[in-house]
Amino acid sequence: MKKIEAIIQPSRFDAVKDALHDIGVDGMTVLEVRGHGRQKGHTEFYRGNEYTVDLLPKIKIEMVVPDNLAEPSVQAILKTAKTGKIGDGKIFLTHVDDAVRIRNDERGDAAL
Amino acid sequence: MNETGDWKLELSDYYSAESLTTQRSFDSTGDGLAVLRRRSEAVDVVVTKLYSRFFSPQLDEPQNFCLLALGGYGRRELFPHSDIDLLFLTENSREQPSRRDAVAGILRELWDLRLRIGHSVHTLAECGRLYRDNLEFNVALLDCRYLAGDRGLYARLHDDVFPHLVARDHQDLFRNLADMTRQRHAKYGDTIFHLEPDIKEAPGGLRDFHVCRWLARISQLEKRKAWGAPEDLWPAHWRAEVGTAFEFLCATRCFLHYLRERDDNQLSYECQDQACARGIARQPAALLTAADWMRIYFRNARSIYRLTKHLLEVSAPARAGVYGLFQNWRSRLSNADFSVLRENIYVRQPAALAQDPALLLRLFEMVARHGLELSRDAERAVAEALTRVPATPLDPSVFFGSFRQILLFPWAAKALRDMNRLGVLSALFPEFQVIDSLVIRDFFHRYTVDEHSFMTIQNLHALAPPRSRSQGPANSGVGSEWEDLLAEILSELEKPELLYLALLFHDVGKGMEAPDHIEGSLQALDEIMARLDLAAVDRATVRFLIASHLEMSATLQRRDIFDPETVREFAGKIETPERLKMLSLLTYADIKSVNPEALTPWKTELLWRLYAATENYLARSLDKERVKPVAATVSPADKILPLLAPSAIREEVDSFLEGFPRRYLATHSPQEIALHFQLAQRLGQEAVQADLRTLGSLHELTVITLDRPFLFASITGTLAAWGMSIVKAVAFADAAGVVLDTFRFVDLYHTLDLNPSEADRLKSNLVDVLQGRMELSKLMSGRIRPGSVQKPKVTIPSQVRFDDTSSSHSTLLELITYDRPGLLYQVSSVLAELGCNIEIALIDTEGEKVIDVFYLTSQVRKLPPELQGAVEKALLSKLQA
Repeated sequence: MKKIEAIIQPSRFDAVKDALHDIGVDGMTVLEVRGHGRQKGHTEFYRGNEYTVDLLPKIKIEMVVPDNLAEPSVQAILKTAKTGKIGDGKIFLTHVDDAVRIRNDERGDAAL
Repeated sequence: MNETGDWKLELSDYYSAESLTTQRSFDSTGDGLAVLRRRSEAVDVVVTKLYSRFFSPQLDEPQNFCLLALGGYGRRELFPHSDIDLLFLTENSREQPSRRDAVAGILRELWDLRLRIGHSVHTLAECGRLYRDNLEFNVALLDCRYLAGDRGLYARLHDDVFPHLVARDHQDLFRNLADMTRQRHAKYGDTIFHLEPDIKEAPGGLRDFHVCRWLARISQLEKRKAWGAPEDLWPAHWRAEVGTAFEFLCATRCFLHYLRERDDNQLSYECQDQACARGIARQPAALLTAADWMRIYFRNARSIYRLTKHLLEVSAPARAGVYGLFQNWRSRLSNADFSVLRENIYVRQPAALAQDPALLLRLFEMVARHGLELSRDAERAVAEALTRVPATPLDPSVFFGSFRQILLFPWAAKALRDMNRLGVLSALFPEFQVIDSLVIRDFFHRYTVDEHSFMTIQNLHALAPPRSRSQGPANSGVGSEWEDLLAEILSELEKPELLYLALLFHDVGKGMEAPDHIEGSLQALDEIMARLDLAAVDRATVRFLIASHLEMSATLQRRDIFDPETVREFAGKIETPERLKMLSLLTYADIKSVNPEALTPWKTELLWRLYAATENYLARSLDKERVKPVAATVSPADKILPLLAPSAIREEVDSFLEGFPRRYLATHSPQEIALHFQLAQRLGQEAVQADLRTLGSLHELTVITLDRPFLFASITGTLAAWGMSIVKAVAFADAAGVVLDTFRFVDLYHTLDLNPSEADRLKSNLVDVLQGRMELSKLMSGRIRPGSVQKPKVTIPSQVRFDDTSSSHSTLLELITYDRPGLLYQVSSVLAELGCNIEIALIDTEGEKVIDVFYLTSQVRKLPPELQGAVEKALLSKLQA
């Protein structure tokens, strides 16, 4: 099993979610986050005040998938989240030892 | 099987058989109260048998020790999977070690029977103490019941120790119970209208019913020093209604426990379907849909919730402090129509409500303004009046005047909820009835459609700065920097009532059969606005808000709001800053009212940033977005021509409009544009055309003439000389060089209000100044009153900023400073003296802050850097002088 954490543009979330659903990934945890990488902040002037966004709003998706779905998931995210501009985000993969479904004690891939 | 095993098995068999019989009985009768009683009796049998085995075959022994039932078990109201609360009471702590094994034995056997037990061991003295950090124990004793042991010990607790505790600490008991109840209500958004309610804990649920009993019991023990039926202290007219509601909830909770086989009290969508299909709570299943069944639930929950709130208010111990004084002060809100007593409104002449519908609306104005409760008498008078509403409809101007006030007052949502509960809202707006207590199943929404609509209004009013109770409800959410900024734009709206009207009806389409709920809401609104006799321009604004109410939310979620193209496209749909403000606030209120967690600070920030970026775009793109020569089939002249004389020529209208920023078309009605065209047509006879009219507390001056140096400065100077304070101004020019300047101003000295004929003289002065027949300096020296200038209440440092990138051929100057008479004249004079031509001007005043944007050219080009420096220096020097 692999844990996939993807940080993407908020505007791409619906498309990413649909693409993951299409390849059979139904479950995910979604967080509203802020952060920055190479993408610079953004400044807006409003009524004489300067409002700088140092930490840009992003969506973070977390999910654990069976090994055979890890690469298709990465490809689905890449395909739908990519705009080609700085700020498109990143994907991280880590190995997961086990998973347990609390309701019925199922383990491993069956719990996903 | 040995002897020990036999009695255990017998006990287990007895309890299982009783449980099964009880459940079967419920399946056939649906009688929840019977379940509670039978299960309590069965547990009594089990507990007393265990007591006789572990303590004494004689149930009233040993001395100085007894076993009591508390809480629901004490009340004989055990639901199928409720906990069983037991108190082992001892005379003193010395008794306890010797009883430990027997207590453990009873508990072990009860656990083996799979009963969920809550137990405690206390001395008599401990039961006489107030536990501020464990109020539940004190409250549980209100329902204590003898099971076995020393009857004398129980009698001392029941008749002496506990009544003394209540007599001594009733104020603390009441206050803590009230605080706990209010906190629980707040956790559920202070509303009964949840789509999937927890029928025990939510407002109007079983816990509230018991709070009503506890409050009455505390009062009985305090005042009469006696135990009695707590319901006897409830207002008589409420007893039957609340009793029925309790019965309904009991049956429903029994059904939930049996269905889920555990103590789970959430009435989920699935359970609603099944409860309806099975005719739970003795409702005729065949006649109901799940939505109808839920309406019955809400009606019952509402009865309990109202009694709870009433008792919390009237049972409050007399407070001699500030609150008491405040309550007394509130009685001074009484007037010729209504009297106010202990936060309740009474109608002085109830029969008059039926004769005078305007009085009926004034009653709810009073609620909306002060947040007062309607007395039961007032409610009866309203119900009576509704049966005798006169056949003649209300005068729309009176009707909307009152209704507008209700929407604008801080407790609008409360008044609207009261109006809805009593049927007044449906009587005025039958369109609203389709969403009354309507459950639309949705993953995100937590409230019924009507409650969601009321909550949007409540959340918008709560945006206003912190206020006292008399001034409005507190903001229940966590205020953020972004909410403060949204509050600022709320205070700037020209017609906030239109926004509140849109919020109230934005989802009525959800109760209609229209394929798209927005379409349904628009249909309903068209009829409502016709009855309210709203002006065409206001109808267009409300229609825009309804039609676009999902637009901003969709842009936030699906588009990159930091992309200028997203902002440009969004601005194109919004068109004017006023609409942008209203839509931003509507979006804020709509998302926040979906559920308490829906509007995160993250989303609020995105919303505000989209607002700010779009507002900036609208101010800085005026010369990009101009009216262009277009094919005759889509000409904006089409809307204007029907309003003009038959001799008017389309090409002349097109020519007049060409080159004006598109915002001109969006911010003026066809009637206004037709007037401007007619004025422009007369320029051949008189080179300056002026129109002056009154708009509420403001006056609006429109000047049309050909462009010339010092034009803007001359107009602002004339207005300053007359003592007029300009709060908004817009200056545009078309391709032919015709300038159209519009000024909205406050008549500081009421010159025009007191002498209407002076309007003509003002216009005459203006024309003379612009035509060079009168010197502006002479006019100003004769009329301006510098002595009356007041110092600003807040410090706003003057700021000047240039932007060379937003426009292709102008330099944008943004000026921020504090407002003062003659300011615009000073600024425009400086600009004119330095050779700057004002192509476009957007003048806005928010409170004491002035925000001006000028599109400037010098010799038909952008301002060179050295000129920008000179303008900045001269302006700051003038403004700081």
